[in-house]
Order: sequence, then structure tokens, then C-alpha cells
Amino acid sequence: MQLLEKNEKYEQYYLAALPVVTTYIFELKKQWKKFVIFTIMAISFVILLSHLPYALIPDNPLPDTQADYFQSGLNFIILLTIFGACFFFSGIICSEYSEKTGFITFPIINKYKLVVGKYLGALTLMIGVIAAFYIALGVLGIYWYGGPINYRYYYSFGIALLYLIAVSSFVTFFSSFMKSVNMTIVTTIMLLLIANMIIDSLVILLYPEFEPIYSLNHNSQLISYILVEDFPTKLEDRYEDLEFRNFHRRIWLTPTIEGAITIFLLYTVICLIVAAIIFKRRQL
Amino acid sequence: METDKLNRIAEEKSSIGPIEKVGTGLKTVMRLENLTKKFGSFIAVNNINIEVYEGETIGLVGPNGAGKTTTIKMIAKLLRPTSGKILVLNKAGKLQALNGNDKDLVRFGFLIDQPFFYDMTAYQILRYFARSQNYQKEKINSRIDELLKLFKLFKWKHEKVNTFSKGMRQKMGIIQSILVDPQIIILDEPQTGLDPKARIEIRATIRELQKLGKTIFVASHMLHEISEVCDKIALINNGKIVAFDTIENLEKNLKEKELHCQLLYPIPHKDLESTIDRINQKLEHYANHNIEVPTPEHNHSVKYNPEEQNFTIYYDGKRESRGEILEILMSEFKSNNKIISFSQPKTSKLEQIYLEMILEDQPRDGGG
Repeated sequence: MQLLEKNEKYEQYYLAALPVVTTYIFELKKQWKKFVIFTIMAISFVILLSHLPYALIPDNPLPDTQADYFQSGLNFIILLTIFGACFFFSGIICSEYSEKTGFITFPIINKYKLVVGKYLGALTLMIGVIAAFYIALGVLGIYWYGGPINYRYYYSFGIALLYLIAVSSFVTFFSSFMKSVNMTIVTTIMLLLIANMIIDSLVILLYPEFEPIYSLNHNSQLISYILVEDFPTKLEDRYEDLEFRNFHRRIWLTPTIEGAITIFLLYTVICLIVAAIIFKRRQL
Repeated sequence: METDKLNRIAEEKSSIGPIEKVGTGLKTVMRLENLTKKFGSFIAVNNINIEVYEGETIGLVGPNGAGKTTTIKMIAKLLRPTSGKILVLNKAGKLQALNGNDKDLVRFGFLIDQPFFYDMTAYQILRYFARSQNYQKEKINSRIDELLKLFKLFKWKHEKVNTFSKGMRQKMGIIQSILVDPQIIILDEPQTGLDPKARIEIRATIRELQKLGKTIFVASHMLHEISEVCDKIALINNGKIVAFDTIENLEKNLKEKELHCQLLYPIPHKDLESTIDRINQKLEHYANHNIEVPTPEHNHSVKYNPEEQNFTIYYDGKRESRGEILEILMSEFKSNNKIISFSQPKTSKLEQIYLEMILEDQPRDGGG
């Protein structure tokens, strides 16, 4: 009797998870080509920016330490994450409406399960792209400096993943109410690259002492700055003040570790909750 | 224990039934109760009531913008009704409101609008749809092959659906709607984009599904396309059901017994009234008194259309009457006019009902 109940319960879980799992696998297959393109791009950029300049130009000195080498190599990761997230996640919700696909063909299925499956599938692929970038840079780090890899490099990878999840949630939020995939891609790229930067600059200009803790751009600096051996613990070590004639400007070098993680998590939770609410109310 | 009790109460609250059509043993599988959908002040669906019994094929017919697709989208939960209820049979054999625990409902198959699908092969897409809906894993491949062969898409099994023609995609839409062997199949304009041969195949498929005891709900603006395969027709216009009955019953109510008589020249205006009165008197004997002639100002069986210079005659439908009516008309017009055609309307009887029932309502903008 107990075994029967256990089996029934197992079957219930299985049935509940089935649309998520099948959608997840389908998403992996669906976005496979995109994954290959982005992975090739990621590895190519690592070679182009972190290997060829040192291999081909003899006078170009290598950074002093492996950590410094990684730090300079990781500058491209922000751009890669933003573009990747926009391309992988922009269609998660809006394409189902604009292209009349899954929700239309079997609408009685819990739509959230389809979205969760799609989100996890796209996230897995993007994690793969980011991982390929880190592996390529790591291999080159060993090639130039010898092993082992600086342990802080793994922290950086962890922070990069949190940043990826926050950015992908931000894009998913836009996908929940935008009409088309292309519009979502353009809007989110504009917001994440240009608008964010403009807002940060304005805030810094108006309130020079204020740290833009709300900003994904500002917090993303932690991905490379965490590699600094003496990571600043005091506030005054986290910025540099620039004075030019009467003009004063503060440049923030890094957020705090706790602060950045909290902001990434907040972005993720808020964007996904709002996306879920909009999605629930969205009608065809 | 307490949870079980609460669950039972919740289930009882959301379930109604089992419901049987009195004396027939027919089980209701779907019921639309006072279903209404408003978009702002615009009423797209107005208080619709339809009961669908197991194994029936219902045709929801109406012009573009009548409210067909909106009704179907509400059944598919793609739109929320403004008011009213949709009750669907659940696995326990009861009617359940379509708003909560949908996993307990019997299986549905949908074809809504024209699906574009994903940029994948026909096989990959169908396999995904089947697995997501928990279709038996070991039967999926044979089921996909069977349906692709039936709809003559087997050659393209491993081709990307994005390269398919409109008609092929529509066939894919129909395949996915019946893929998991659903009990209720809902098809919205299944003939869209299909050539005549494919339309015949769709009708044949619907007949096959009928034989399997499936309940089918087909929406279309092409009445003649679906009237052949439907047990009942629901005529919808301006969001309202203007008639819902079997085709035979609908035809009975129709001004079906009709003749058209075309003249060579128009009747001069000064003679018009007297001529029509005279013809009316002469044809009084053949008039069909069971019907309501759509000429409210003259309760007569003859209607003259001066622009097209033709008569519409509503008669008793007897074969011998037709000849006698022709003789009367020929004698009436032999001196100063000529009859150039005398015939029954070319349109089918059902189409006449359809046209007459929606005639008084103005067509609206909107999507189905």
C-alpha cells in the first residue's frame, strides 16, 4: 500500500516535471547553432585579445601576474554576456505570441512550465558559452604563466554566472511584454549597454559621492576586480577621485562582494516575478 | 486527512455533473455558459451558450469578425472570459470549470490560427509536442509516421518546418492537434491555406476521427466546407449565436423553397405595383405559408428586385408547382417582357440560412 502511494507520488512529480524537462531538452536542440556560434566567438575573442597581441608583438609586455592577465582578459566578458543573454533569452516569451508556437499548439499545458524549461535551456547554453570563454582564457593563463590557475579566477566565474542570471532575467522581463524578438533584442541591448552607462554617468555627475549600487554595469566590475589579490575592504579604496581644473569626478573601481551579489539576486528575483505577473495577464 | 477533505470540497465546488442529455445517454463533454468577452466597450462574444455531447461534431460558423476565434481562444485559455463559464469533462467523468487544475481534464487537441512552429524539423517538433503531453514514449515514432503519411508529409519528416508551404504548415497544425489522441479536438479554420484536394483530405480525416468517437469543434467561415461533416451547426454573428441546431432542423426553419426568375427588361415603374400584386394573386395557391417572407411591407410570396430585374418566389416546394409557376409567369410576361432564366438558387440551402441569419447584422472589424 505504502509502495503504491510512493509510486503514485513519484508519477505525479514525473508528470509535473515532464513539460519542463522536454522543453528544456528541446530548447537545447533549438538553440544549439546559436550556442556554437557564440562559443566560437568567445574563444576567438580570447585568442584575439589575450593571446595574439603577446604572441605576435614581441615588445608587448605580458601583465605581471596571472591574475592581472585574467583581469585584462575578462573585460570582454560583460559584452559577451549582454549580447548572449539578449540573443538567447529575448524570444523566451514574446516569440511564443508573435510566432504562434508552443502556447498556441498546446495551450492547456501550464504555460509557466514551458517558460521555465525554455529559460533553463537557454541558461544552460549561455553558461556553456561563458564557461568556454573562461576555459580558453584559463588555458592561455597556464600557457603564459604556468599552473595552477589562481583560485580567484573561479570566484570570478561564479560572479560572472550570477551576472549572467541577472542579465538574462532582465531580458526575460522585457520578453514578457514586448511584441517581437527583434524589438526585445534591440531594446535590451540599448538599455544594458547605452542607457545604463548614460544613467550611471548622469548620477555620478549630479551626485559625485554616490555609489551607483543599483547599476548592473557598476556591479559587473566585480567579475574582473575580484581577481585583485588585495581586494579593497574599505570604501575609500574602492574608488579613485579625478580632479581636472574645477571638475571633480569619482570613478568607482568595484562594488563590494556582498553588495554586487545582493544586487544580482535582486535583479533576478524582481525581474522574474514581474515577468511572471505580466505573462499571466498577457492575452493573445 | 483534513487536506483530503478540503481538496474534496474544492473539487466538488469546481465540478458539476456527470451530466447526461435526458433520455439519450449522451454525455456532455463541454459546456459554454453565458460566455462573454469584451475588449473595452466592444463585445466580441456575447452571452454564448453551447452544450457539446460526446462524439458530436459541432461547426461554429460565422463571417470574419463574428467571434469564432475569440470563443476558441477562451476555450484554449489564451483569452480570459469577461464573464460566463467554460466547463469541460474531467477524467473522473464530471464537468469541471476551466480555470484551475487542468491536468485533470480530458485531453484536448487545438489548432488555433496558423501555427508557425519552431525552426526545427517536423519530426523534432512533433516528438517534443508528444513528449510534453506525456504520450507513451514507445508509441511516439509510429504515431508521428502514421500521421505524416496520412497527411502526405512523410517525405518531409526531417525537413525544417520553416521551409514548408502554408498548406503544409496547416497540415502540421492539424497533425499536432490530433497527435496525442485527444478526446476533444478544436480546430479553428482548418481549411485555411489548403488546396481543394487537401480540404477533401481534412474532411476525410474529420470523418475518421468521428468514427473513433472523438468530439470535434470546428470553427470556419466556409459553411459548405464543414456542413458535410458536422452533426450540428452553431451560427455565430456579432458575437451572438443566432442558431444552434442540427443541419436538418436548421434547414426546416429556412426559407428553403425558393425560385428565381430573371426578366430580360425591367418592369416599368408605373406598372410595378400592379404587376407584383397580380403575380402574387396568381401564385397565392403555391405559396409556402409556413415561412416568413423577408418582405415585411408586403406579406407576399413574391419579391421583386428592380436593380437585377428578377423575382424571388417562395413556394410550397412541390415539383409540379414549379412547372405551373413557370407557365403563369410566362403568360404574364409574354407580351411586353421575356423571362430569360427560371431556376432554383445555386447556393446550398444551408448557405441561404447562413446568409439570411446574418443578413441583418452589420459586419464588424476584428479577428474571427
